[in-house]
Amino acid sequence: MKNKYIFGGIIIAVFLVLMGYLFTQSNIEYADDFAVVKTSSKTVKATGSWVKEKHYEINKEDKTFSFILADQNGNEMKVIYDGTIPNNFETAKSVVVTGKYQNGYFHAKDILTKCPSKYEEQNTKTSGI
Amino acid sequence: MIGSVVLTFALAFSLLSMVMYFLNYRGYKNTLNYARIAYHGMAMLVIVAAFILWYSILTHQYQYKYIYSYSNNSLKTGFLIASFWGGQEGSFMLWLLLTSIVGIILQSYASKRGDLEPRVMAVFTLATSFLLVMVSPWFKNPFEYLWITPAFINVDHINSSFLNLPFIQQFFFTDQSTNQGFIKVNAELVAMLKSSGVAVNDFVINGKGLNPQLLNFWMQIHPPILFSGFSMATVPFAFAIAALMKNDYRDWIKQAFPWMLAGMGILGLGIMLGGYWAYEMLGWGGYWAWDPVENSSFIPWLVGVAGIHTLLVQRRSQAKKKGIGKYTKTNLVICILTYLLVLYSTFLTRSGVLGDASVHSFVDPGMIVYLFLILFIGTFALLGFGMIAYRWKTLNESIVADEGILSRELALFTASIVLIASAIIVIVGTSAPLFGQSVDTFFYNEMQLPLAIIIMFLNGFSLLIKWKKSDTNEVVKKSTYSAGGAVVFTLILVIFGGVHEIMIILLTLTTSFALFVNLDIAIKIIRGNMKMLGAYVAHTGIALFILGVIGSAVYSQHQDVDLIKGKPTKAFGYELTFTEYHPIENNTKYAFNVDIKKDGSEYNLKPIMYISEFNNSLVREPAILTLPTRDLYLSPLGYDDGNQSNANGKSVSVALGSEFDFNNAKIKYTEFIRPDISAMQSGGNIQMGTKLTVSKDNKSYEIIPMIKREGGQFEYVAAELQEANLKIEVKKIDPGSEQAEFIVSKLNDNGADKIVNESNEVLTLTASIKPFISLVWIGVLIMVFGFFISMARRLKESMIIS
Repeated sequence: MKNKYIFGGIIIAVFLVLMGYLFTQSNIEYADDFAVVKTSSKTVKATGSWVKEKHYEINKEDKTFSFILADQNGNEMKVIYDGTIPNNFETAKSVVVTGKYQNGYFHAKDILTKCPSKYEEQNTKTSGI
Repeated sequence: MIGSVVLTFALAFSLLSMVMYFLNYRGYKNTLNYARIAYHGMAMLVIVAAFILWYSILTHQYQYKYIYSYSNNSLKTGFLIASFWGGQEGSFMLWLLLTSIVGIILQSYASKRGDLEPRVMAVFTLATSFLLVMVSPWFKNPFEYLWITPAFINVDHINSSFLNLPFIQQFFFTDQSTNQGFIKVNAELVAMLKSSGVAVNDFVINGKGLNPQLLNFWMQIHPPILFSGFSMATVPFAFAIAALMKNDYRDWIKQAFPWMLAGMGILGLGIMLGGYWAYEMLGWGGYWAWDPVENSSFIPWLVGVAGIHTLLVQRRSQAKKKGIGKYTKTNLVICILTYLLVLYSTFLTRSGVLGDASVHSFVDPGMIVYLFLILFIGTFALLGFGMIAYRWKTLNESIVADEGILSRELALFTASIVLIASAIIVIVGTSAPLFGQSVDTFFYNEMQLPLAIIIMFLNGFSLLIKWKKSDTNEVVKKSTYSAGGAVVFTLILVIFGGVHEIMIILLTLTTSFALFVNLDIAIKIIRGNMKMLGAYVAHTGIALFILGVIGSAVYSQHQDVDLIKGKPTKAFGYELTFTEYHPIENNTKYAFNVDIKKDGSEYNLKPIMYISEFNNSLVREPAILTLPTRDLYLSPLGYDDGNQSNANGKSVSVALGSEFDFNNAKIKYTEFIRPDISAMQSGGNIQMGTKLTVSKDNKSYEIIPMIKREGGQFEYVAAELQEANLKIEVKKIDPGSEQAEFIVSKLNDNGADKIVNESNEVLTLTASIKPFISLVWIGVLIMVFGFFISMARRLKESMIIS
């Protein structure tokens, strides 16, 4: 039985060290407060909702898409995404952008749209007549 | 109603069966028949409930909330049947249905193998009971009526002949931003409808339908296969607990073995089909994104496959002599863990905890479901590990002799450890959102790469060494050809294939080594005993799969291209020409025809784009050209019909009073020129526009782009400004918010150097080349086939009672 423990032990030990190291390297924190996002120098995932009423821009030349995102407290920031408008963006309830805040805007390398779909009831804003 | 009653009875039968089986295990001989009858009664009721749900979907019974939410009148029969599992309630129902059916087979299997049945089935019925509670009227019931929680139903989905009923007005609501009308359907309205003799099912006449991303051929196949795998994972768990109950660890190994093989084969197939679905549908060009939903079914698979290898060692080590064999505890723990991880997977994906982390969206199912899922996992974890702790003393009594360094036992054990390490990586990454963390996908890729190298090495090496102890010289001799072949193969790839990274070279080396070893043995076996072939087929499959992953993941290339109508454009040596687009599927979608030429061969691809009615958003579907050595993958990004602007412009949306930049000019939106309200209402000719102030080089200019409507036709009158070299068109103005959308472009782009009759219609797409991606699918299919060959062999062995 000894060999079993030696082999298993070495693999697990090397593996745990490597995993711990990579985890800290690849770790991306969630930041829902844009005040925090703006001061952080790390890559974060920021959740907010698109401020449709404000300036947005689809630049076909540079293939970028920029828009204003607001967090729950109404803090706004400009987001520039390298790509075109993602699917479902217009109807998304909220969006999660992954990237870094630099030079006055949030450079998003990834956008995730949270849609009222598959497992979700459509919450429709309604008001009386 | 009837569905809920049937399910409630099924729950009672399941509990009854569990109690009767347990009593039988405790020595009450006469309860066995009752237990069997109760189990079959439960299974029949579940099947009946499933058919009621299917019948209700096919006959459009929109009084059920689930059916209203996930199906509609326009779905084809195949998708109607598949909308059974379109949502959470139904996927629990599917899981329950498949588990019940697996239980029927298990009962028959166990009854033929000694005193196994009462113990195994007592555990199994505990699982069915939990699933039945899950779909019971208190939790995720697919038969819940629409009005139990008041629902706002779009008037489009309501039979208009009832809209003039006198009491409807008080339930009528309008969404002011979209002008959509809604009827609030609650118990009060239903009571009023009833008193007027109107059935809810005649009142609500259409449903919301399926999310467009689920409207794919594989929606009809992938979920049932995946859930079959989940259901079958229950069985090894039940066998492990049964062994612990009896305190006998010899026979359960061979009895659980075929189930583990079949379960993991099916689960593997299900995972692969999910990947293929993503590849074919989602348009990001990959099949695996380390998305939590994908990961969560991958984790139990990795652990289960590790278990297959340790089960083999125990089976093998007990074959020769009496005794329970090696790795008894490991096997118990792995069989228990596999099912617990299936439950954990359900918890992660169904409890709403991953809300922000996945492309799949989840509703928060409510606190009570969340707690119930924890109770579900907790109960089975406590049962599994509690039993092991309870039997710890006996489990430690069996001391087995040490195995040699060069023994197949140790190689298989090491392989299992590496597979489990691989599972731990995925668990850590996938669970990180629970702690407000998340990991970048490179975490998975970088971690899995060295493990894959080790696994592939062991894949080949373990088959060259013997059980117990091997002679070093013999191993070296046996591995010469395969190792030599692998070196040559890798060198060819390095020199001609552009493989340069050291880790990828190592992975290619070990993978091709594994491939050659397995092919070598497989060919020898084909001439001999065919039923022994399973492992080698499976291992060949996994080696081909890894080669496919190396090709498609590491060496795929992509590039965005603008295809001007009629003008051939080169990408990766392929000549792409966008010719036209045409409506398909009753004008609901548009297919964009792209002609492809390469080396004299002509092909044709049709990526699809459409606006989905389900959520009013643009859906893009890629098109794939599969060639022997590569896929050409065209994923549409957008289409510009050329009427509004040239392709170098940009569109912006601004509020009144704000500014934007273009071509070194500042443009300020200063005034909204309102249309004449009376003309607007009478449908007469109107015009509206915006006043813009353009500042460039310290000079200021005023321009007024307009929108005119004459005789129902819209005309966009762009404003041009030579001084700033720009052209501005206003596309849309919202009279309420005064927000306006502009398209700004440079004037000289439309200048004389451009060919006058060149089309402005542009299809923008991402073209990618995926080398050897077919090996990914082929490899997995071969692997699954191997699992089933092995299963057939182990099934025969399990009949022998020692």
